[in-house]
Amino acid sequence: MNEPAPIVLVVDDEIQIRRFLRTGFELNGFVVHEAGTGAEAIRSATLRPIDLVIVDLGLPDMDGSEVVERIRSWSSVPIIVLSVRSTEAEKVHLLELGADDYVVKPFGMAELLARVRVALRRQMRAVSGEPTVKIGPLTIDLATRAVTLNGARLTLTPKEYRLLQVLAQHAGNVVTHQHLLKEVWGTIHVHDTHYLRIFVRKLRQKIEPHPDSPKILVTELGVGYRLAQSGSDAENGAGAEAPAKSES
Amino acid sequence: MQTSVKFHRIRMELPGVCMTLGLVAILTLVLFAMVWGLGLEHGSVVYLLPVVIAATRWGIVQAIVAAVCGVLASAFFFYPPLYSFRITNPQEVLNLILFIFVAIVVSQLATQLKRQLETARQREIDLRDLYAFSRRLAVAFDVSDIHAAIEDHLATVMQRKVVLFASARDAFASSGRRAGGAVPEQVLAEVVEVASDRRDADNSGVTVTADSGDIWLIRAVSPKSSEFGVIAINLGRESREGSDEMRIRVDAVLADATATLERLGVAHAISEARMRSQTEQLREALIGSVSHELRTPLASILGAATVLSAAPALANEKKLRALVHDVRDEAERLNNDIQNLLDASRISSDGVKPHIEWADPADIVNSAIERCRNRMSDRRIAVNLPADLPLIHVDPVLVQQALVQIFDNAVKYSHSGSQITVAARARDGRMILSVSDQGAGLTAAEQSKIWDRFARGERHAATTSGSGLGLWIANAFIAVNGGKINAISEGPGLGTAMAIELPVMQATVTQMEDDTDE
Repeated sequence: MNEPAPIVLVVDDEIQIRRFLRTGFELNGFVVHEAGTGAEAIRSATLRPIDLVIVDLGLPDMDGSEVVERIRSWSSVPIIVLSVRSTEAEKVHLLELGADDYVVKPFGMAELLARVRVALRRQMRAVSGEPTVKIGPLTIDLATRAVTLNGARLTLTPKEYRLLQVLAQHAGNVVTHQHLLKEVWGTIHVHDTHYLRIFVRKLRQKIEPHPDSPKILVTELGVGYRLAQSGSDAENGAGAEAPAKSES
Repeated sequence: MQTSVKFHRIRMELPGVCMTLGLVAILTLVLFAMVWGLGLEHGSVVYLLPVVIAATRWGIVQAIVAAVCGVLASAFFFYPPLYSFRITNPQEVLNLILFIFVAIVVSQLATQLKRQLETARQREIDLRDLYAFSRRLAVAFDVSDIHAAIEDHLATVMQRKVVLFASARDAFASSGRRAGGAVPEQVLAEVVEVASDRRDADNSGVTVTADSGDIWLIRAVSPKSSEFGVIAINLGRESREGSDEMRIRVDAVLADATATLERLGVAHAISEARMRSQTEQLREALIGSVSHELRTPLASILGAATVLSAAPALANEKKLRALVHDVRDEAERLNNDIQNLLDASRISSDGVKPHIEWADPADIVNSAIERCRNRMSDRRIAVNLPADLPLIHVDPVLVQQALVQIFDNAVKYSHSGSQITVAARARDGRMILSVSDQGAGLTAAEQSKIWDRFARGERHAATTSGSGLGLWIANAFIAVNGGKINAISEGPGLGTAMAIELPVMQATVTQMEDDTDE
């Protein structure tokens, strides 16, 4: 990366977690700020320029979701939440509050770094106005509405394209079922998940090289879908606990 | 007071007496017509009819009234001189005396019969109540079930509003919101007194007059054992004498009830149930909190290990890196075990509430494989998912977790390099997700035991580790989705096939058709 080192704010009350996150991030060329409480985090986020926030849900002074909500009220900085398993409903809630993504504890550094890079890249694309999203062999041009697979143009129905478009706008991040249903079918269908399932199947038939083991349009069970982000991640198959593929 | 009771008695008998008089009058008319029309001799014996009817229907008083009226009517209408109560023929006087004697005997017999019938019926009802009561006790699960049974039984027997308090704390906590509502505050206060400091030494009970004017009787259910609790009975607005009478009945009923309770070993059952539920709760709480506490440091260990394993300083230190990988892998295994404990305590403490939605079975299978990719890296994985699988209405996360448990088992009990086949198919309105391995298989005895909590195969106890929770959790997660798991094995060494069966429902796919090609 040629840009100045990205600054990440780590919010967690466990000093051991902060320590390994600091080491892990610094080894990968990030600058790290730390906060042990929600209040400290909010103060820190207002005082200094920050490129990304990592928030643990269990903070001593306030709920992690409140930190997400407060920061989101004035800033579009990417936020990644550290949550625990078995709480899909809570994850959906956090994503709706404006968190960009989540990582389930316990997690490996490689997994978190992959999520962080995706979120930073998306932020950069949003700032630069770059209209094309590339995921492995698939290219989506949001300006011309052209979708190509290995250079060959694909024919999508309006709803299929709309679905892909919403996912591409958040490429790499999870998009919740509710959000997709609202954007594609309208508010009254937010609970009709079976529409979504059937259209995702149709879409996969067109955009996935191997539709029965999807690598581009990935399911996050109980939460939503994500477009696996471009380059090495997609090839890698998003092995959740795979050892770090050193990129620094 | 004596006169008022008598008056009350008369009022009760009056309708029967009137009916009897009516009956005699009608009979007299009929007889009169028959004597004059058909030329019958007089028919005093016929007057036994109203006597018997009155005795069986209303009682002895009415029967005697019927007999006396019958005699008078015979004397007046049918014996010469007619239309006078005088009788000249001594034979006829004898007849009438005989008639009175027979009438009295008959009415005695009839009322006795009636009383016996009533007691028999009452006894049957009592018996049925008692039977229902003992059945409820037999199936009672915990203390509150047993108390509810006692309460209902007493309410039926007493025909009054009855509220049972298990303990002083129960009365304290329940300030007025108990079954059937409104137990007045003064009554509650008195219940607390009786339950806690046992002021009611002679156990005859305490009465309290509530604001509403109702009188409540409060006493311990049993003088011998405090386990049965304290009972409050609404006696209504009885006079002092009435309430005394009621008290005697309460005594009798409670003596009966406590005898039954003691015989059924309820006191023992109650304290046992209480103890059992307490230890169970304690155990679950312990497992839950310990697991949670263990997980926090584990997140640091695992995170730090992954940072170390990718650290440039270790890039050329093969042996050190291997150590770090061991730390990472073992921490991951520990994390899985802790997650199993947490899942198990979730299943047995508050039950698992599924978040049902429409899900693609292929998504569930793929994400389960994805989660186990590391653990299954040295097995050949064959996946067979038809393109036209129906959607299923389940909690996809729970089904995925069940599948992960089954994959874990398949890996644990098979050799590296062997094949694990994952397939999905729809058949007869059921979705079947199957996982087959080429591993250790199951003996007939093992097949029946694998679903038990903490079940561990004896053949493998020495060679593989595990808590024996995995399949129990998988089974519970599939059960809350309305499905079941079958394990099929040809025998030891011949592999195992696990089949998850889930119901398939038809999704309504309507307003989706307005999607034409661009």
